[in-house]
Amino acid sequence: MPNLAVFIEQRDGALKKVAWQMISEARRIADAAGGEVWGVFLGPDAGEATTEAAKYGADKVFAATGDSFAGYNSQTWATALANFCRAHNPDALLVGSTALGKDMGPLVAAKLECACISDAVGLKFDGGLEVRRPVFAGKCFTDVTPTTPVSVVGIRPNAFVMEEKAGAGAAESFDAGIDGVDQKATVQSVESAGGGQIELTEAEVIVSGGRGIKGPENYELIEKLADAMGAAAGASRAVVDAGWVDYSHQVGQTGKTVGPNLYVACGISGAIQHLAGMSSSKCIVAINKDANAPIFKVADYGVVADLFDIVPVLTDEVGKIRG
Amino acid sequence: MKIAVCVKQVPDSETRINLAAPTAELDSSGFTRILNPYDAYAVEEAVKIKEAGSDVEITAITIGPDTVKETLKKDCLAVGCDKALVITDPALDHADAAAIATVLSAALKKEPYDLVLCGFKAIDDDNGQVPILIAEKLGMAHVSTITSLELGEGTLTAHREIEGGKEIVQASMPAVLTCQKGLNEPRLPSLPNIMKAGMKPMETVTCADLGVEVPANLVQIKQYSPPPARGECKLIDAEDPAAAARELARLLNEEAKVI
Repeated sequence: MPNLAVFIEQRDGALKKVAWQMISEARRIADAAGGEVWGVFLGPDAGEATTEAAKYGADKVFAATGDSFAGYNSQTWATALANFCRAHNPDALLVGSTALGKDMGPLVAAKLECACISDAVGLKFDGGLEVRRPVFAGKCFTDVTPTTPVSVVGIRPNAFVMEEKAGAGAAESFDAGIDGVDQKATVQSVESAGGGQIELTEAEVIVSGGRGIKGPENYELIEKLADAMGAAAGASRAVVDAGWVDYSHQVGQTGKTVGPNLYVACGISGAIQHLAGMSSSKCIVAINKDANAPIFKVADYGVVADLFDIVPVLTDEVGKIRG
Repeated sequence: MKIAVCVKQVPDSETRINLAAPTAELDSSGFTRILNPYDAYAVEEAVKIKEAGSDVEITAITIGPDTVKETLKKDCLAVGCDKALVITDPALDHADAAAIATVLSAALKKEPYDLVLCGFKAIDDDNGQVPILIAEKLGMAHVSTITSLELGEGTLTAHREIEGGKEIVQASMPAVLTCQKGLNEPRLPSLPNIMKAGMKPMETVTCADLGVEVPANLVQIKQYSPPPARGECKLIDAEDPAAAARELARLLNEEAKVI
């Protein structure tokens, strides 16, 4: 009977959706195997987190509140979560694989000297926890098991389906025990890249451009289609290495590994290292002049044509459909 | 100042992994191996610090069999690292992140390093855990996925990549930093420097030499399996591209229901 604790991440008060995906999956496991689903929250105010977590099936929501948790600090936050685990002994602490989660998760595990599993996409409980995760950016998968009573498991955004199912959502507080923590590193400020861009790793739809866009001036076509779709804009390594697009847009084994509901590859041939980073997407569209391009081997829908003839019309059509 | 760069040899990103069925162990014997691409940013950053200041010594540290020495020589010593330490021990063949971190920490305790630079993750197991575990074991500050670095007196300022922007982080030294693409442009080794790199010190040690026992794995690998198979690709007739674009939009909306 596993008790699964789910970390609810907030940045500037905004709650990350991956928390509700994790709570939904934990609920499904608890309904089948028994045990409870707990939300764990760090922030100035736990009100909204508690209400939302209950919607997706959390039995309890433990919170440590106060100004110390307004902005992220690795040592302070990891200490608080380690103390939570010591006090309440969950079988696993699930942490979203976000920039914050990937920084904090291993630190919590280090403090607890427990198993840490990164970037999971599947969870099973059959007497013990079994975790599925991609390796080599998704060229293959591993099933792994933690050997310690508690483990920290990073969960990739969009790996699990969000499903509303009312839970008790009983609000409880816990003692973070952070007095006298040596912070060692502190965030001085946060700079936004501007433009309200959607982050690749969290996006439900991604439109990516490859060498077929011919030059940096044409990346705008990709961005416009992405805008019309409410999507994040990605790119292949070739385009990033040519300096046409910032590296933060790169999808692939040496960029971001993504698994959105829809991935639209425009003028991308599909080098093995690119395919590794996106082939777990649920629906893949390939638009490429070369009918033999490897991208068509992983695509669900393909158009063998010049992207310059397809993308502008597609942008208009999608605009009409989505109103 | 003493800088350690922890590196790993990994299969090239062009490597194909052709698993037909689940298997307990991955046969990696035929893979071409390279320096983990993110570690190249760590090496370059260390060399840039050395070029900017005086009295900087860079040690490249890795775990692996004899074959890692070529990578250390070509991609670390030949581009500016001063010496190398190879930890070779069959007990580490299946070590998990926590065990690797324990052994590397033992090696890092041998000298008073001011900075430990690493790639933010290795492109084979994609864990991204070892540097952070090391920082905690050694009681050092850590900043992960950095894209810029400035050193001060006993402190440093780094930019850290986050969703839709960056954090500006100040940390005390000694510190562990994990490097992301964008931090710098790694240089390529020149042929004469590769020749000269052979003269630089490279020490090989076992875990016993470091006085550390390899702890039991905290995470056990049950099996490796191929990715789920994908269905057939539905090709849309593109004789009239505009009609094809409209048909694609319709299919994505009505059939796939993804827009």
